[in-house]
Amino acid sequence: MDDIAITGIGIISSMGIGKDAFWSGCREARTGIKRITAFDADSFDSNVAGWIDDFDPRQFMPRRTYRRMSRISRMAVAASVEALEDSSIIIDDDNRDRIAVILGTSYGSSAHVEDFFVSLLREGPRGAQPFLFPETVPNAPASQISIFHGIRGPNSTFCQNEISAESAILYARNILSQGIVDTVIVGGADELSQMQYSSYNALGVLNKVRAKEGERISPEMGGGLILGEGAGILVMERLNTAAKRGATIYGLLKSATITGGVTSPSRYEPGGNAMKRAINHAMEEAEISTDSIDHISVSANFSAALDETEYRILSEIFAKGKDNLQVSPLKYLMGTFGGAGTTRTAAVLLSLHKQVPLPTVALDMLNRKGSQPCKWSTPSAGTTGTALMTSSTFGGGSSTLIFTQHQKDNQ
Amino acid sequence: MKRRVVITGLGTINAVGNSTEDFREGIFAGRCGIKEVTLFDTSAFSCHLAGEVTGATLEPELDPELTKQISRCDILGLIAAREAIADSGLERSHYESDRIGVVLGGGAGGMNSWEKYRRARWAGEERPDPALLLPYATCTLTDLIAGRYGFTGFRSTICTACSSSTTSIGYGFDLIQSQTQDVVIVGGSESLSELTFAGFHALRLMDPGHCRPFDKNRRGLSLGEGAAILVLEDFDHAQARGATIYAEVLGYATNCDAKHMTAPDLKGMSNVMTEALKRSSVDKNQVDYVNAHGTATPVNDKTETAAIRDAFGEQLAKKLVVTSTKSMIGHCLGAAGGLESVATILTLREQTVHPTIHLEEDDPDCDLDYVPNQARKEDITIALKNSFAFGGNNTSIVFKRSE
Repeated sequence: MDDIAITGIGIISSMGIGKDAFWSGCREARTGIKRITAFDADSFDSNVAGWIDDFDPRQFMPRRTYRRMSRISRMAVAASVEALEDSSIIIDDDNRDRIAVILGTSYGSSAHVEDFFVSLLREGPRGAQPFLFPETVPNAPASQISIFHGIRGPNSTFCQNEISAESAILYARNILSQGIVDTVIVGGADELSQMQYSSYNALGVLNKVRAKEGERISPEMGGGLILGEGAGILVMERLNTAAKRGATIYGLLKSATITGGVTSPSRYEPGGNAMKRAINHAMEEAEISTDSIDHISVSANFSAALDETEYRILSEIFAKGKDNLQVSPLKYLMGTFGGAGTTRTAAVLLSLHKQVPLPTVALDMLNRKGSQPCKWSTPSAGTTGTALMTSSTFGGGSSTLIFTQHQKDNQ
Repeated sequence: MKRRVVITGLGTINAVGNSTEDFREGIFAGRCGIKEVTLFDTSAFSCHLAGEVTGATLEPELDPELTKQISRCDILGLIAAREAIADSGLERSHYESDRIGVVLGGGAGGMNSWEKYRRARWAGEERPDPALLLPYATCTLTDLIAGRYGFTGFRSTICTACSSSTTSIGYGFDLIQSQTQDVVIVGGSESLSELTFAGFHALRLMDPGHCRPFDKNRRGLSLGEGAAILVLEDFDHAQARGATIYAEVLGYATNCDAKHMTAPDLKGMSNVMTEALKRSSVDKNQVDYVNAHGTATPVNDKTETAAIRDAFGEQLAKKLVVTSTKSMIGHCLGAAGGLESVATILTLREQTVHPTIHLEEDDPDCDLDYVPNQARKEDITIALKNSFAFGGNNTSIVFKRSE
């Protein structure tokens, strides 16, 4: 497989709007988890989420453009504006058919589903609001990105619960490697809505933690999910294309795998076999061993089942690697959502590019229970050459991505 | 040398037939499956018809606990998967489990179950059964099929509305060609839901009667439901194990109109057909049959016809045979491309083109050979299947008759 270069980053996240604010959020291990005021969450088991309270679409596009867009489409388009600008790619008639847009999302706009269905319940078929319906499909955000920028190449959307964005990255690599396109706008996005929040609440999977306005809280380790939202968009190209045009290269995607675990659709695979196979397979493909991995980004999300399994599998695989293994569970700061994979990727890439480490926790923190605050360490310096990102979802899928620093003399 | 990718198993359920054999017999007989909806109350709508599946059940073979946690869409998909996997003759001894992946396309997934929950809440029920919320995600079926048969390879779910399951066949093709997998279970499932019914109704895209693709008096689509699951396999492996080879996948393409969320675009459609043929190394004059997207909305059929003319040129377009499977089963959204691909593969196999039914009056804007109302024997070697979706997400795929 060709090496894939990442040459643009756009981030709308609860840890910061824009890649620079997001990066400073990462450096400070600044939590985006806060009391929800976007809707009334007081009757639920929990009233916190990694939700975004300072996103203003006007900073990215005119009002007439976003007026009828769902929240997820607004965030996705906004992040794509930043990512494309960052990549210095100008879209014109010569390249618009050679650029793809590939996104991952758990649910698309659940708020539009709710609003449209309620308009039907309240008003009957003749009162159902037609303009709400097109944005109920999960492929709406990707289509809006294509429409906004005039991108006519392949366009696809992947929904695979918590590895949706990773699924998009795998497909992006597939079409880049085949030479079908030269550039892929690849990303993940999800919106937090009352519909989704109340559903997770009814299923009893939320972390039972409550906060007062402005209060910084510590979710219970292993106590259940904290939901999040946001959009992370990356620009990907084959390394030779990116190098030829003199692009800034944040890092290289060396390998990417997805494996399937066997479990029921609402559970994580208990044994972690798929996770283990994905990690081993990705290291094989990248031809690297455990001792050359400097950084591990994990998908731990406060659920007992996933966090424990990641602890166990990583302890096993890296037993002979480094002592006191440190990992970055970014979802501890921004909550979990299906499209989180590209935002986590962005954190890894910014760290590789700046050669400034991400904050970490000791691996055994993932195995803790109770409400003791998660202890972060933020090393001020240190080099990172290779980073591994593991992601697993309920339903059984697992993904591993391996990134390396780009060194110009390697070109 | 690139690997060749073939289809070795078919499973379908839809308004015309609850198995591939029923479906085969039904489409060649030109049978209409579109009828009064019984799944929910349509009395306040101006349309009461859809391609509803009747008599679909997986009981008692499914664990009753699991049955409570899955949606109608999942049940339809599991029925089609059971047929396809049995049909393929795949056995555990043929492949390591991680060489078999599952890549499906889908639409509204478990929306139908969520609606029941939401309706109960609206009616004032404090705690409706939360299990109705579990199958909401469209990837539920992908995980269920993989879990049921122990396939531990690649897994993905494509959600591009009406082109999803066609793209899933394309992605499965990529994964086998690149040697990532040896077998990929592809296709998709969709069940009728009030939300989609009301949505197409609100956008005035539905015919109050049954849909009439390419007819002068067509007024819109009829919705449908069903599932199609196909077993894609590496040709050498399939041949070595003596599998029945239904057809070969030659290539596919996807693109985006980048114009409008719901209106189709001639150029986007034309380009995706041209690109799919190019990637399949097929000349336009080699194509014998086009299984159209053919929704029966006034604008789709006119635009698709013009796009076929644009892609193939006036002369070749006139020689093509073009039909709409939707005339019999309705528009099955996330499952549409999979079901229509099965119809296309049956066409290649039987050397018979299924008709476009309810086509009574010629439309000057739709002037190709749509095989009205009566199946016809034809020599068909190469077929092109179109799927176009909301958001301008277009996919075309090319199939070849098995030698």
